[in-house]
Formats: sequence, C-alpha cells, structure tokens
Amino acid sequence: MRKKRVLIGKIGLDGHDVGAKVVAAALRDAGMEVIYTGLRQTPESIVNTAIQEDVDAIGISILSGSHITLISRLIDVLKKEDADDIKVLVGGVIPEEDISLLIDKGVYQVFPSESEMDDIIACFETLDNEMSERI
Amino acid sequence: MSSDIENSKKRWEKEVLDPYLEHHPERKARFKNDLNHEIERLYTPKDLEKFNYDYLKDLGFPGEYPFTRGHTPNMYRSETPILRAYSGFGTPEQSNQRYKRLVELGAEEIQVAVDLPTQVGYNSDHIMSTGEVGKVGVAINSLYDMETLFKDVPLNKLRRVGMLGNSFGPAALALFIALGEKQGLKPEEYRVDLQNDILKEYVARGTYVYPIEPSINLTLDTVAYCIENMPHWNPISACVNHINGGGSGSSAGTAIALSNAQHYIENLLERGYHIDQIAPMISMFLDERDDVFTEIANLRATRKIWAEIIRAKYGATTRDAMGLKITAYGHGRETLQEPLNNIVRIALGTLGYFFGGAHSLFNGSYDEAASTPTEESVKIAVRTQQIIYNELGLSNTIDPLGGSYYLESLTCAIKNEIKDYLDEVESNGGPIACIHNGYISKLMTEGAIRRQKEFNEKQRVQVGVNILKDPNLVNETKPFRVDPYAEKQMIESLNFIKSKRSNKNVVKCLNEIKEAALEKENTVPTVLHAIKEYATLGEIADVFRSIYGEYKQKPSF
Repeated sequence: MRKKRVLIGKIGLDGHDVGAKVVAAALRDAGMEVIYTGLRQTPESIVNTAIQEDVDAIGISILSGSHITLISRLIDVLKKEDADDIKVLVGGVIPEEDISLLIDKGVYQVFPSESEMDDIIACFETLDNEMSERI
Repeated sequence: MSSDIENSKKRWEKEVLDPYLEHHPERKARFKNDLNHEIERLYTPKDLEKFNYDYLKDLGFPGEYPFTRGHTPNMYRSETPILRAYSGFGTPEQSNQRYKRLVELGAEEIQVAVDLPTQVGYNSDHIMSTGEVGKVGVAINSLYDMETLFKDVPLNKLRRVGMLGNSFGPAALALFIALGEKQGLKPEEYRVDLQNDILKEYVARGTYVYPIEPSINLTLDTVAYCIENMPHWNPISACVNHINGGGSGSSAGTAIALSNAQHYIENLLERGYHIDQIAPMISMFLDERDDVFTEIANLRATRKIWAEIIRAKYGATTRDAMGLKITAYGHGRETLQEPLNNIVRIALGTLGYFFGGAHSLFNGSYDEAASTPTEESVKIAVRTQQIIYNELGLSNTIDPLGGSYYLESLTCAIKNEIKDYLDEVESNGGPIACIHNGYISKLMTEGAIRRQKEFNEKQRVQVGVNILKDPNLVNETKPFRVDPYAEKQMIESLNFIKSKRSNKNVVKCLNEIKEAALEKENTVPTVLHAIKEYATLGEIADVFRSIYGEYKQKPSF
C-alpha cells in the first residue's frame, strides 16, 4: 500500500504557521508523506500543488477569520479542476457556528483550536480506508 | 552562616520532610517551567550562592545601572504602566467607535491593529485581499482612513498612539505625522509607538514583503527620522512575543530579539548616530506566558542584560539609553472552552508583567481565542489593568518580589541562559544568518512540537481543556463578527479618495520615493509627502516592490 500523501498549507495572508507545522510534523511522524507549502498560498496554487503531488487530502490552517471566503474558493477550484476527490480538512480559529457552514460547502472535517492531535491524525488516516471501500 | 543553613536544611529534610513525604507523596514526578528548569521544592540563600549573587552588583537601585529593579527611579509610585489597547477591525468608522469607547474607559494608548492586506502592502481591492479586509484589524488604505479612525480622538490626549507597521515603517510613521498635522498638533505634543521590527517577521508572524536587507533599511529609515525629528517617539520595539509564541521558549526568544536589536543598533551607528540617541528609540516586547515567576524573572534579567550590553559594548551613558522600556501583552494561553476562565488567566499573566516592571502593558480579552473581542470583553481587559494598578496594594512599592530567594535565583539562571543563547546566535553567524540557516525556525518548530506533546501527555495543562473537563459543557460565547460588507465599503472609499485627490501629484510623489530609494536616501520624507497627497499604502508598497522584489520563504517544518 502506498504511503498516504497529504498537503498542509496556509491560504491567504495569515502568517501564523505554528499549528500548520505541528500538524505537518505529527502526520509525518504517523507515517504519511507530507508536502508543506508554507505561507501566502492562493486556492489556485494549493490545488495546483495538490494535483502535481497527487495527494489524498489537503489540510488548510487559517487563523485570520477569512476561512469562509478562502475555503469556498478552494473547493470551487478543486471542482473546476475535476480534483474534488481530494478531501479538504480545515484547522485554526474557526467559530463553532462556521463548522457546519464549511462542511456544507464540501469540507471533509474541521478542527478548531484545542482539537486533539490524535483525532486529527486519525481523520487523515481513515480517509484512505473510506476511499478503498469506495473502490 | 551559609553552612548553618545547609546543615539545618539537611536536618529538616531528614527529620521533618522525609517522614511527611512518606504519607503525602508529591503530586508530580517533576515540577518544571516551560524552559525545562527543574523548580526546587524550596529556595534558600544557599541557592543564590551558586550564582555569586550580590545585591549591589545584581540588583542595585531602580532607575540606575544595572536597572534590574526598574527602568525609572520611582516606577509605578510615579507612573503606572501605559495602559495600552490593541484594537481595530472592519472599517475606520467602526473602529473609531471602539476607540472612543476605549478612551472613555481609560485606555492611554491606542495601538492600531491593522488587517493583513494593510500589513503586507495591498490595498483593499487587491486580489490577495479578498476575504481578508478588516478581519484581523482595521483596513487602512490612505491618510483618509486615518482621519476617520481618529475622528474625535485627539492624539495629544493619549499617552501614546501607534500601530505595528513591521514591513511598512516609513508609511506607518508618515501616517501619524500627517494625522497629527491634520489635528493641528506638533510632533512634540504627542508620542508615537511603532513595532517596526521586521527581522522577526521572517521567522514568526510572517508579514514580510521585501527581502531582508532592504526591509531593514526601511525599518531604520523610520528610526533615523525619529532620532532627527521626534527624539521622544518610540519607533521600534524588538519582539520576543511572536518568537516565543512560535515555540522558541522565552529565554531563546529574548536572545533572538536582543540580537535583532543589536543588529539595528549597529546599522544606526554606521549611519553616524550615537548610542545615547539610538538606544532610547528601542523598546522590547517581551513574552513568557506559561509561568508567572519565569515571566517576572525574564523581565528583570532582560533589563539587566540590556543595560550591560548598551553600556559595555556600545558605551551608552544615559538612563534613557540603558534603562530598557519593556512592553508586554498580558495573557496566559487563553482557551476556547469555558472562555470566562480566561479573565483569570489574563489577570494573572498581566500581574506577572506588572511585577516584572513593564513600561507599557496591554492584555488579551477573554473571548479572543474565538474571534476579534467584543466591546464587553475589551472593557474587562481595560478594567483588569486598572484594578491591578489601583487596588489590592499591588502598586505600593517598587519591584515588590525583589529579594525572594526563588525569584532572584530564577532571575540569575535566566540571565545566564539568555546570554548563552546570545552567544549561540552569534556563533551561528548572527541574526540574519540564523534566519537563512534555519537555526531560529528549528528552535521554534522543535519547541512547538514539544509543547504539543506535553499538552497531549497532560504535562502541560489547561483547566477545562485537557484536565478537569466539564461534563456538561455549554458554549457560552457568541463570537464577534466583523461586518461582512467592510470589504465592499473599503473598496468604495478607496475609489472615492482616488477620485478626490490629485493623481498627478501622487504619481510625482511616488516617483520621488523611487528616486530616494534608488539613491539610498532616507525614504521617510518622500513617503510622508506621498501620504499627505493621499497616496495609498498599496501604491507606496508597489514602488518598493518594483525596486526590491518580494521575499519568498523556503517552507520547512
């Protein structure tokens, strides 16, 4: 079985990257291939990298409050590029009432501040199972 | 005498403590702080001997060398810390309402929080600004927005006023000079305080725009202009906050910020200024949010190290140069769950900085882990400081915890640790090399991962989050929402000001900035000229982009 491949990135201008880096390191330690994009990505650049790197999932960290606009655009671009089989997970400062909004837009799972790292890892790991079940 | 203490302690351990511990074992295997210092059960004068502790050498008196006990001779008995409010969201009109309320409540410094597009030189209508306008701060496109922002808030009624301006120092400074003129004030009638610390942006916070070297020049143009024209302003603050928040730990973070400050100082010395002119311009934004005693010790140790460096290495002679002015942000790892508990965390974190002798203080609001704070929570933040300054006997004497065996021993240990890190930064090539070679980012990432691991393993605890969880938890807060139409309004007002100003003059001014930058002259006078003609921050940033290009971070984790 190939190693799970995930992209961890930051969209927009928010420069707080501690959470993204800690999650990236935890997923790597859990045995996944992690591609970390660094700061100031656009929805388009994230989707490009995700397709080129053939990832199973995209994890986006946003702390600036601009998650609804930016994640909606990311989902749209994924659909446009016919790449919406790639799951999108979102973490950061996400008010509770926005979680269902993001899920409705097509986000697979949301991890607000104070989420347990084990839950985050488990979520990325079970993506694969679900995909293989579908196949 | 000290052998008496040692012998008595041994006897106490054997006869009193050990039998007690048999039936009352300790709660934890280790007692430690975030710096991984082993915290002892009890401190005595013996612990100070290890450091050759000497009252006159290590502490002395406040307001004179080595400034451990305070940067002024009478500290809070004469002046309480500047009560600072870091605030801004949405449009200038919306933030102006909040500012008037803050001043009414007793805030003494408004520190403008600007949104991310403003911080990185994009106007509200730029494609990269989509979704970000007015979000983490107020959107500022031009002087027009500053006039609205400070309508009925006279700058001279505040003890200080400022904004971050880390990658746009000259423009941030120019905005306040021009705004003061519009309010009919001379620069000597008010005081401006900028963060303007670009170096830390390349390792934490991330609001860089241009490559490192030209960015430093913009930062130092700002400081040099103040040395020449407004020597009582505070145009730069070397920051630990974001580096420690990123995982470095407070001692390493302090060393990195001190080495950044020295880099700025040495560049200004090369520009021909004297250390007694340069050092008073620089304050430090210190940070330790895990342990109140470590917090207090860090402030005292840093003041001492600053005085030593500024005097011994650079030959400073004045109190203003050697007495470090410390800014701090009182908080204590606020939680999203049970947010009202954060009022207590913030109060205690703020109290630590107060006991450490901060010169200006601001503090978090209890709902800040969820969103921009509400008016109610901001009021509690202001009141928290006012209670500390006025009630409970907290401000009656200078450096009230000075002389505590524990605190003094911690202060000595932290002072040595910061100095060791300073040597390490130096041996790794200095602050800029340490950005490029990954020394700083490695320190930070490893620390962040360590903290997460400790949190998972409950060695690092938060009540109500990873211990003592409430089984019947209900979400108590409603997050503050920035007006969703702010972006549209900002684009409209941007178009309005572009239609009102003389575009011909703006183009001329922008060309002057370009010439000054290419000639390596101080850029502030030409930027000021452009700001007064209502050139936008995005237009000014584009001039510098056309000369310097943009910085691209090498992503790593």
